[in-house]
Amino acid sequence: MDIRNAQKFTEMIFKNIRDGIVILDRDYRILDANESIEKWAKRPVADIINSDCRDVFHGEGQICPHCAAQQAFETGQISTVTQKNNKQDTAVYAELSAYPIKSESGEIRECVVFIQDITDRMLCHDEVLRLYDEVIQTKEYLESIIEHSADAIVTSDLNGIITSWNNGAERIYHFTKEDALGNFLPFVPEFLVDSERDNNRKIRDGEVLKRVETFRKKKDGAIISVSLTLSPIKNAGGEIIGISEISRDISEKKNVEKELVRRNQELSRLFFISSAMRGTLDLDRLLRMVLTAVTMGDGLGFNRAILFLVDDEKHSLRGAMGVGPASYEEAFHVWERLSNEKKTLPDIMEEIDVGLLRKDSFFDKLSQSIEIPLSTETSLAKAVNEQKRFNIDDVGKEPLSDAVLIQQLGTRAFAAVPLISRNRVIGVLWVDNYFNNRAITEEDMHFLTAFSNHVASAIENARLFERVKLAEQELENIFESISDMVYFVTEDYVIKNINQAVSKRLKKSPNEIIGKKCHEIFHGIHEPWAACPHRKSVEMREAFVQEVEDPFLGGTFIMSCSPIIDISGRFMGTVNILSDITELKNLRERVIKTDRMAALGEVAARVAHEIRNPLVSLGGFARRLEKRLNGGLKEYADIIGKEVERLETILNEILSFVKETRVRKENVSAQKLMEEVVSLSRSEIDDREIALIEDFGEPVELYVDPNRVKDALLNVVRNAIQAVEHAGTISLKIYRKNKTCVIEIGDSGPGITEEDLPFIFDPFYTTKKQGTGLGLTITHRIIEEHDGRIEVESRGGKGSVFRLVIPIKEA
Amino acid sequence: MKILVVDDDLHIQRLYKEEFEDEGYEVVVASNGQEAIEMFEKEAPDIVTLDILLPDIDGIRILRQMKEKNPKIPIIMSTAYDYRDDFAVWASEAYIVKSSDLDELKAMIKNLLSK
Repeated sequence: MDIRNAQKFTEMIFKNIRDGIVILDRDYRILDANESIEKWAKRPVADIINSDCRDVFHGEGQICPHCAAQQAFETGQISTVTQKNNKQDTAVYAELSAYPIKSESGEIRECVVFIQDITDRMLCHDEVLRLYDEVIQTKEYLESIIEHSADAIVTSDLNGIITSWNNGAERIYHFTKEDALGNFLPFVPEFLVDSERDNNRKIRDGEVLKRVETFRKKKDGAIISVSLTLSPIKNAGGEIIGISEISRDISEKKNVEKELVRRNQELSRLFFISSAMRGTLDLDRLLRMVLTAVTMGDGLGFNRAILFLVDDEKHSLRGAMGVGPASYEEAFHVWERLSNEKKTLPDIMEEIDVGLLRKDSFFDKLSQSIEIPLSTETSLAKAVNEQKRFNIDDVGKEPLSDAVLIQQLGTRAFAAVPLISRNRVIGVLWVDNYFNNRAITEEDMHFLTAFSNHVASAIENARLFERVKLAEQELENIFESISDMVYFVTEDYVIKNINQAVSKRLKKSPNEIIGKKCHEIFHGIHEPWAACPHRKSVEMREAFVQEVEDPFLGGTFIMSCSPIIDISGRFMGTVNILSDITELKNLRERVIKTDRMAALGEVAARVAHEIRNPLVSLGGFARRLEKRLNGGLKEYADIIGKEVERLETILNEILSFVKETRVRKENVSAQKLMEEVVSLSRSEIDDREIALIEDFGEPVELYVDPNRVKDALLNVVRNAIQAVEHAGTISLKIYRKNKTCVIEIGDSGPGITEEDLPFIFDPFYTTKKQGTGLGLTITHRIIEEHDGRIEVESRGGKGSVFRLVIPIKEA
Repeated sequence: MKILVVDDDLHIQRLYKEEFEDEGYEVVVASNGQEAIEMFEKEAPDIVTLDILLPDIDGIRILRQMKEKNPKIPIIMSTAYDYRDDFAVWASEAYIVKSSDLDELKAMIKNLLSK
């Protein structure tokens, strides 16, 4: 490009460039300026040429080209300044660049100043700055909000590790920032950790959980109700990198709500509870109702409750029933389910037997193991003894705290109110808030007291009813197990109820007896029996006791009839007791007989002495005479001897019958006894030419009084000999049968007639010309003494068989 | 062989004495307890028949005294009433209820003396 063209080009730029250009000399005189300078100078270019720049651009708010030039002149370098022109309505920014122009000699005589409008640029920059400031401010504001929020605002990473923790969180949960940061959600109760992880998963999927009501744990372990909002935190890329959790302590709100519910429903609830309770007399069910009402959120809302009842016998308080969760986890589940199912107290009462707070829970069993002696100086004992109520907010500070409750239940604070029915303390209702640590308020106490007054009488009633039921059961048992016949009969002799003894004795089922007329059942007659004390009792309305011999029932009875009169004085019928005294009567008769015998025995000993001695001399000398005499006189002497012998036999038999004898048992074989009996009878058997058939078999060992049994056998054998009289047979057989020894004595005599058979063992009964009639009686008695029995088989003309059956002593 | 017969019934005393003498025994008698003890010492019998019911001392006591003096002499209790159940009589060698038939008593004496 040649110079001319270059100059033209420069001029063109100079004229058309949007930047203003001024050329100044060292005196700041304007040597030249382009048109664009007018925007800055606010004057035509021609006016400012040769003017002093300091005059053209002066005053506040004006740009200052000379200022830029001055620097360039002084430094010889390009200088750039940014200036703001405030004079116009809107601020204008200019960037001034001064280029020093050197002469050929190297002096700087002139300077070109370019003035560029950078307002737009500057405005943009300002805006950014302003925005930046604003952001800073907002951030501070937000941070301040976060910091000072009453809500706990907490952020965590996706794993639940705390990344921020505000003052609110510190205030609500008592964990400091230091405690919380870098740790896993410290305020989540253990029992909620799993469900919290579920929540985290939902947030990670982009969900926002708003106003969830749940529980949080304070640093001291106390559980509080909170309302929770969980939202994801996203980075610039929209990726979820954390979770924010805003929680608000709503315990207070809940409490207020509860209070409201309480106040509003107090009346209706009390009415409901008491009417529900009046509806049941089952003590167990009632106690469960009471405790459920005490522990349900919808009821009194305590965490745990125990009913203690006074044991008058042991003078102690005894845990009758307890309701409450065994652990935090169980507590949470129960509460959660109840709140989910939205069950009201009436619903729960309805399902009391199948409900959540079932019987025999761990806590129930624990409660029942607690016993507090009333002699102790403890709150529960005092609640009973002094009818006082207790609200102990710190067991550690209260000397009356029951140690057993602290040890067994771990309670830290509790309340106890006496259950008073008819001015008597029947028990104590104990409650605590073990799981949520809610303080027990005066309001609670008020309601608890009102409640306990209501339930006390219901419990007392149920307890009385239970006692009555128990007594009834006992009576029923006694009634059934009594061995006497007991039965109730109405006024018109209809049997209303009987015990087992009646149906056993009558060998009829209760159905066949109850509802029938008593005289038909007991006496087999169609009209009341005239001699019956029962009839007298019905007619006279008085109790009668009488001994009755009833041929229909077959026995002797003591019959006691007592009228049943109800409270209103109405005659309901009679209760009759029939005691079978047949055995007793027999025994009594036997005792009388024995007494008589013993007395007789005394006399007998005397008589024996007085009679036997003369008989012995008489008989003895008659024998001596007989030996020395001959012919007729010899015969007389013989007759005297024989008659004396007969008298002696009678005497012996009578004496042995009346005499009280002691049994002296020893081991002896039945065969040996029989052999001795045979040898004693041998001469007579031979004399009468009787054939004796012995079949003794294996020796059978007996444990008996040998003399007595020998006597018994001898009597039977003698009878057999006398029955056979002459030339018949007697068979003797001994054998073992089951656990007895049978000694059989058979004869070929005339036998015993059917009429005689029932009487053969009766004393003084005899068919023989000679004899006392005591032989078989004695035999019978001896065998009875040995717990044996005698069987007789006999038919007229066919002989007799006597079987003496004696039990064998067990080895 | 010498038999001491103790019995307050004089007829029985005589009956026993004659019967036993017929059998070849020497017989001494006593009518009461006192006499019985004296005779037992003085006569040194080989065997004694002793009644229980005596006018002065009862037979059981006499039995005990005789046994204390000489336990080797056999004693037969011979009574009108059956005292067999009384423990006291067990100390005697034998027991018999008096009977006009003396065969059993004689057999008993013979048996005891032969031992």
